[in-house]
Amino acid sequence: MLAQGYRRIAARALCLRRVTASPAISVSRLVADRERRPVLEEISFDVAPGEIVGLLGPNGAGKTTTLGVLSTLLPYRTGDVRIAGHDLRTEKRAVRAAIGRVPQEIAVYPRLSARENAVFFARLSGLRGAAARRAAAGALEQVGLAQRADEAASTYSGGMQRRLNLACGLLGTPQVVLLDEPTVGVDPQSLERIGAALRAHAARGAALLYSTHHMKEAEQLCDRVVLIDHGRVIALGTPREIVARLGLGLSADVVTEAPLPEGWLDGLDGARVLEAHEGGDDDAGWVVRVSLAEHGLAARVLQRAETHGAVREFHVQRPSLHDAFLALTGRAIRD
Amino acid sequence: MSLAVIIVKDLRLLLRDRVALIFMSLAPIVVISVAGFSLASLYGSDPTGLTAYDLPIVDEDGGELARQITEQLATEKSVRVRRVESRAEAERLVASKAAGSALVIPAGTADALAAGRPARVLLYTDPVKYLERLNVRLRVLQARDALADAERARVADTLERQRESLRADLERLAAAIRDARAELDAARRESGELSARTTRAFDAEAARLRKDVEAQIDAQLRTLSTRLESTFAARVEELRAPARDYLDALAQTRRDFEKWFADLQRLAARRADQIPPPPMLPEPPPELVSALEGAPPRIELPARLEIRIEPRAPRAIAAPSLPDIDLAVPNLEVPELPPPGTALGVEEVAVGGGGATTINTFDQNVPGFSVTFLMLGMLLGVSLGLLDEHEWGTFDRIRALPVPARNVLIGKLLSRFVVGTAQMIALFAVGYVLFRVSLGPQPWALLLPIGGIVFAGTAFGLIIAGLARSRDAVLPLGAIVIVSMAAIGGCWWPIDLEPRWMRTVALAFPTTWAMEAFNDLMIRLRGVEATFKPTAVLVAYGLAYLVIGLALFRRRVARR
Repeated sequence: MLAQGYRRIAARALCLRRVTASPAISVSRLVADRERRPVLEEISFDVAPGEIVGLLGPNGAGKTTTLGVLSTLLPYRTGDVRIAGHDLRTEKRAVRAAIGRVPQEIAVYPRLSARENAVFFARLSGLRGAAARRAAAGALEQVGLAQRADEAASTYSGGMQRRLNLACGLLGTPQVVLLDEPTVGVDPQSLERIGAALRAHAARGAALLYSTHHMKEAEQLCDRVVLIDHGRVIALGTPREIVARLGLGLSADVVTEAPLPEGWLDGLDGARVLEAHEGGDDDAGWVVRVSLAEHGLAARVLQRAETHGAVREFHVQRPSLHDAFLALTGRAIRD
Repeated sequence: MSLAVIIVKDLRLLLRDRVALIFMSLAPIVVISVAGFSLASLYGSDPTGLTAYDLPIVDEDGGELARQITEQLATEKSVRVRRVESRAEAERLVASKAAGSALVIPAGTADALAAGRPARVLLYTDPVKYLERLNVRLRVLQARDALADAERARVADTLERQRESLRADLERLAAAIRDARAELDAARRESGELSARTTRAFDAEAARLRKDVEAQIDAQLRTLSTRLESTFAARVEELRAPARDYLDALAQTRRDFEKWFADLQRLAARRADQIPPPPMLPEPPPELVSALEGAPPRIELPARLEIRIEPRAPRAIAAPSLPDIDLAVPNLEVPELPPPGTALGVEEVAVGGGGATTINTFDQNVPGFSVTFLMLGMLLGVSLGLLDEHEWGTFDRIRALPVPARNVLIGKLLSRFVVGTAQMIALFAVGYVLFRVSLGPQPWALLLPIGGIVFAGTAFGLIIAGLARSRDAVLPLGAIVIVSMAAIGGCWWPIDLEPRWMRTVALAFPTTWAMEAFNDLMIRLRGVEATFKPTAVLVAYGLAYLVIGLALFRRRVARR
């Protein structure tokens, strides 16, 4: 509770900062192509100093291209992009000096130790000698790798490598941090640690643009999200704002031993089957998602399900960013 | 600064890559060893003697010559001499493939040669073992030549000693002649002096005698003259008195006649003109008048009588007449006659550097396989290194940092250049220590072609990195090119084994030029100047590769 209260206070402060401070990332009508195919079509958003903004979208939506353009790695056709006050087209060197980049892949040298990796990237970031070593040690401490800093990165677990990848992007306290799915495949402990490190960095005034497929993670970490699909921004705001804007209601997940027969919910007004599918793992049962017009319907849905089969689990949930995401981008699988 | 950081990082990565380190260091040494020992036949020998051919020898002659041939062959590292008892045994060893060749020295060989008759040794060979046959035959011929040379040297030495003795005798003779000549000259001088003294004494005596005789003659002449003058004066006076009387009477008569005639003319008066003139008496000649008036002439004796007194020189004191003997020192040069039995020999002269005519097999294999592994190492190091950077994402991560992107490339190329140079130096050092390869008269000169081929190899790795789309494509693509370059360029075998057209093609490969420089320095023992052209070509290839590689790499990065 205390943490949530603290976060609310911080969010309000950030909103205030967003209003008053000039954006650390300003993207206006950005158009970019990949292999002569338009990927970004006039997307616009900004990120204020100290703000964490989630960049969401299905596969191929243009998240990585957006981050590539902002990282100076990819060209763009038109648009006005400013990073830390520098024009992306004309001040690339200054932009590079202002940003920290955490790529999707674990971009470290596997045969070097975490410390050697961190010192190397710190020195290339412009830090010298002792300053580079101090920055490397601080970043590794921040992501919880200080104890094993002298071991080769290749010997690290996936989560540790992710944290090292993050540390190498946070060196030199960049004003802007661009993160492309930095938590893929990490365990909750590492996820927690990465989240803490990012929040700490944001608290120091850095603007973070955070690409992820984990809606829950985005909800927990990001102050705002930018949802893009087919190269366009389709939603922009806090997670709560986006969910509210879509008018999504309560839902319940019913997990049963066997598929429930068709029409098992017939006659129960206010309740409607949204989807039904087999559970992901072996012997995970069958999952049916049911929309609920009001909270009081939950007990009646459970009762109806139990009359038609053996119910293993029953969850009632409020509408989430995940729901909003699916609602906005559809359920068709993207390649 | 960032460049140094990138270079250090790349070196660190390499040092931690055990596979790469083994590939760069141990693998070439193993391959060099295997290839060196395996291909030693191409060059005839290796310095360790491990690749020597077995050569059975049958000594049917049993003489000194056969022993010398056997001993001579035993000194060759390329053959391992083994005595066998009979021809049959030698034939059996060749037939059973236990030996590729066998040598038989037939009985009577030495005697035939001593008698000046031709003689032959037999060499049983296995035609399949072509190289072994050639090498053994060469060694046998070399042994023969060596023995012949030794024999010729011995004869020449004997002749030389005899010449020296003759020279000494002639020197002594010349000295004796010089002494005799000096004595003869002294005798001649003494004889001359004696003759002169004798002549002087004789002349003095003759003068004294001549003077004495003249004095006596003068005295007697004066006496005689006085007596003649008085006698003559008396006789003259006796003649002059009547003559004077006659002349006086004649003069009186003339005067009387003139008086008479004058009287006659006067008496004749008018007729006087008709009187013819009377005859005139002649006047006495004035010489007679003057002779009758002066003193009688004196009888003049000659002032000095020419008296020749030529005494005959005594024979006993005449100077001895010495014969004209030519005692000049004769020419002491003893002509250099060729020793008997001198034959036309073949002397191999290593052209250019005065090096040996045979080579250590590793002189070819150490640089050859070092270059091969260098090129492969560069291929892996540069192209796979860059592909790794791409796959790891570190290349893009660095590109997004405030560092010139070219520094990533330059840093990697420089680090690989340093590593490649160190690799080549280390392999040459190992070759020197383990296989005793020649480093040439100027070992430091090896650094020039090493630098050139490392540069070319490094830049070539960039081309492969630009062409290959993945790690899987690097090895087939790069290996085909590198292996072809190495093989055709003479890294694995002498380039002269290749046909002419292939040698022409080989000029397009940097490996060819590197090997040319290494062969010049290590085998032909030439100086650093021999490396200038190959090194320049290598650098030119490297620059061309660099330009192409950079273009390919940029295109590749732009496509991402």
